[in-house]
Amino acid sequence: MNIIFRKISNTKINYIITVVFILTTAVSIIGCATDKANEQPISNNKADPYENFNRKMFAFNSSVDTHVAKPISDSYKSVTPEFVQTGVANFFNNLKNINVIINDVLQAKFTQSAHDTGRIALNTTLGIGGLFDVAKHAGLEQNEEDFDQTLAVWGVSPGSYLVLPFFGPSTTRGVHGAIFDAATSPTTYTMIGVPINMLSVVNTRANADGSLKFINEAALDPYVFTRESFMQWRNNLATDGKTDSANNNIDELDIESLDDEKTSALKEDGAVAKKSNESNSGISLEPETK
Amino acid sequence: MILKKIQLVLFYIFCLAVTNTTLAQTDSAATAKQVVEKFQSELITVMKNGKQLGYAGRYKNLTQPVSDSHDLTKIARIIVGKEWEKLSETQQQKLVDAIIRLSIASYAHNFKDFSGESFIFDSEEETTRGGFVVHSHLVIPDDKPVKFDYMLKEKGNSWRIINIIANGVSDLALKRSEYTTILQREGFDSLVAKINERIDAYSKL
Repeated sequence: MNIIFRKISNTKINYIITVVFILTTAVSIIGCATDKANEQPISNNKADPYENFNRKMFAFNSSVDTHVAKPISDSYKSVTPEFVQTGVANFFNNLKNINVIINDVLQAKFTQSAHDTGRIALNTTLGIGGLFDVAKHAGLEQNEEDFDQTLAVWGVSPGSYLVLPFFGPSTTRGVHGAIFDAATSPTTYTMIGVPINMLSVVNTRANADGSLKFINEAALDPYVFTRESFMQWRNNLATDGKTDSANNNIDELDIESLDDEKTSALKEDGAVAKKSNESNSGISLEPETK
Repeated sequence: MILKKIQLVLFYIFCLAVTNTTLAQTDSAATAKQVVEKFQSELITVMKNGKQLGYAGRYKNLTQPVSDSHDLTKIARIIVGKEWEKLSETQQQKLVDAIIRLSIASYAHNFKDFSGESFIFDSEEETTRGGFVVHSHLVIPDDKPVKFDYMLKEKGNSWRIINIIANGVSDLALKRSEYTTILQREGFDSLVAKINERIDAYSKL
């Protein structure tokens, strides 16, 4: 699941400045529309106050993907040998490491920044400009850092969930992070930036193929599925996987308020068991000790 | 002489009793880690035979392991949150049945073949509320490992999985958002219809 968002975020970096304008305008329009006419129900999800707008953008992006991005990506995959596709993906990953190193330092991860500097040096030289990922074989795995994560480390909350036209899921913090990421990307300042960025978009879509297929197969509501997995994935990245899985999710889901005996009254073999536990409603599932 | 024989018989009975007790304890009270590792092992076995088994065979072979290791009734209840109380008993049972079939179908579809994958146990920890979290990761050749954290709660005298967190993404939280949204926006019948559509799609993919 996280692969898809990693790929999408590569693309986002290079165009985000344009998007900020579109986004600001769009959010303003939606805000006015819902305030004035009260035409659409307000979202129940606190992290997604612009759900009505976001759902429209999600549908728009899906349509663009079906009719434009996917056909181009399929053509790219059919005419390009696999080793070339791998080389292109490696090239963009290597380029991204400049940004990764800057954010390593901004988050005071100095050991990791040395690791990532070694990675980019090795891949740029021995890996012929990043086309080959030789650093991986030397035990230097790719790290994922960006300015959105840096802002999270600095204590900035993610803000509202946003679906950006053409670029997909983000947050208000993520938009600010992406502006910084774009500013530190070398392709932003080069003459050959446009074709490189176009290739980056195609590469991104081609690599996200499997993940998009997974969403289509698994999701009952693809919009909610994408939103929840994106928010959780970003949180996991920002905390370097140190999310308190032992307690956080269980508390969030508030399962201690469930009535265990009522649940167990339902047998998994399909028969509905007789209930005699009406007085137990509200009994805590969780022991209070520990 | 007779006394010595009686002593030997008593010693033998004692040994037998101790062995039986130990076996009974092991059998009835598998630890959270054992429950997870047994399930992972069964999953890998199905993956190894995945192609020969086909979807129907994988579904059949995974039915018991999934039911034995997951508390799918509790999972169903958590997934719909407060909406659970608004459902009739028949609806609740219908939902539980659908989620059991979806869970097995999802495993049968997503773990269809084997290319050298293996699960590695990392650690386990007790939660403040008496549950257990088993940390492990799936090693995939030529790819990044996937972190799997299993959250377990006690059911009777055994432990059952109630949530799986893959690379920081909680399956339970994800489903809870999805299912409650559908229930609120479209109603119970639509939710069950969508689950059945997914199960049907998994069998054909």
